[in-house]
Amino acid sequence: MNRLLQDRFDRWHVLVLLLTTLGAAALLLTAGGGGDAAARSELNRQLEQDVAYRARIDFLQDLYRPVLDLEKSGARQQALLKLEEIGRRYPGEGYGFIIKGRILLQLDAVEEAVANYVEGVRLNGDFADRQGAFSAWNEIDQLVSKQLPSFSERARTHPDNASLKRVLNNLHYLQSRLAGGCE
Amino acid sequence: MPVFDRHFWIVVVAGGLLGLIGVGLAVLGNPQNSGICISCFLENSAGALGLHGNQRMQYLRPELIGFVLGAVFSAAAGREFHSRGGSAPLLRFLSGVFLMIGCGVFIGCPIKLFLRLTAGDLTVLSGLAGLIVGVWFGLKGLAGGIHLGGGRQDPRGASGLWVPLFFLLLLFLLLLQPGFILFSTRGSGAQHAPLLLSLAAGLLLGGLAQRSRFCITGSVRDTFLMGRRTPLIWGLAAFILAAVGTNLAAGRFHPGFYGQPGAHLDYAWSFLGMLLVGWLSVLIGGCPFRQLIKAGEGDADAGLVVIGMLLGGGLVQAWGLAGTAAGVPLYGKVAVLVGLAFVAANSLLWRERVAEA
Repeated sequence: MNRLLQDRFDRWHVLVLLLTTLGAAALLLTAGGGGDAAARSELNRQLEQDVAYRARIDFLQDLYRPVLDLEKSGARQQALLKLEEIGRRYPGEGYGFIIKGRILLQLDAVEEAVANYVEGVRLNGDFADRQGAFSAWNEIDQLVSKQLPSFSERARTHPDNASLKRVLNNLHYLQSRLAGGCE
Repeated sequence: MPVFDRHFWIVVVAGGLLGLIGVGLAVLGNPQNSGICISCFLENSAGALGLHGNQRMQYLRPELIGFVLGAVFSAAAGREFHSRGGSAPLLRFLSGVFLMIGCGVFIGCPIKLFLRLTAGDLTVLSGLAGLIVGVWFGLKGLAGGIHLGGGRQDPRGASGLWVPLFFLLLLFLLLLQPGFILFSTRGSGAQHAPLLLSLAAGLLLGGLAQRSRFCITGSVRDTFLMGRRTPLIWGLAAFILAAVGTNLAAGRFHPGFYGQPGAHLDYAWSFLGMLLVGWLSVLIGGCPFRQLIKAGEGDADAGLVVIGMLLGGGLVQAWGLAGTAAGVPLYGKVAVLVGLAFVAANSLLWRERVAEA
């Protein structure tokens, strides 16, 4: 320590170090309600992010409500047409693919249903989460559990069938996403 | 096998605990097969600091902070904290970036490679082959005269302090959670073991790794050089046995190629990604985990690799370079090839050549 304080030069720099450190700490401790609007906004990035996510949930629920109502009433073809319409306006939105997959599954179009679930999960991993506003984990898990053994068997007996191979790859992708991991 | 050597047993204990805790943290809440993964943790931490916008990958991982600070405490206790540095700083910084690219394409660091393997994920076999070949390339490079220059001791002891101080700052940010630090509310970033438990695990493993010098690529490297005589290979064996045992006990051993968590079937790119990691790790003196530990010992060169890895973690996510279950994206493939070109170019540039008569 003595080596650090051997002359006026050292003492001056130690003084500056102490004053700036204490000043920064004092600013942080007293900044509760202060600061300008821009700085407050930067400090609230977590809030901004959470609000944006909540807003997205509400927006998507409103956007797809007519589709879900049509699906519930059994008007699946109209629901698919409505999905087409929304998809043209918001082509990168994954929720539409998940709903389309669900409807196609009800119509026994399994291969197309699987492809749509894959597209949805690729666009937004939230659908493969176990929990969350848009979790489709359970329905995807049921789909994979039910279809994977039969498609594996069919692909094994028809190794040259490219279509079967593609569906099997899609099911493996969904299986992998359901298993979790860090991505 | 040098069983009467104290260091041998420290390495074995370090390896065993790494395997046990690596699986245990996943059981306690970390993402599946990612109980410990330096690259995933750095990507999460980069996201928490705002270096990328993937809202599913934002969390200041306490384990990372624990690794560095645990190494600091252990090095200080053993009078091994020596501030040093000054060897090829920019090369090391960029190496950190490319280490993360290789790991990102593979989906995991060398520790996670073995954690995945011990959980039955057979897709990692190509990555394992790549890692081994990469280490061998690195050894050939060192034997061929590549020398980045030795880090100099820093008698004033200043430069080696900054990375530990940075991680101390991260600890405060983690505990205080100010609004500008981001935490995922969904996705893998939201999956984590209890904070204090993760921190304690990190501190313990950081301290043990500092004592033992345990390192995955170092184990492979020393095995090439010394065979069974190196303690590190026994540390690696203890790590694998402990991880397999814990995975079996926890019901998490599912052998197979398909449906594995956080895995893809682009075997060639897994191979190349890990080849890049193995090759670079040997040239800069350790895998990503070892770089964190060395930074905690006051090695400013390793500290620069760590800062490069943090930036690399941000870039991998921000630029969409990381592999996913769907495969490796185009730009991820390009980035790996650029990384391999980077290593090859620097191998030429940093080679000490004997003047021809």
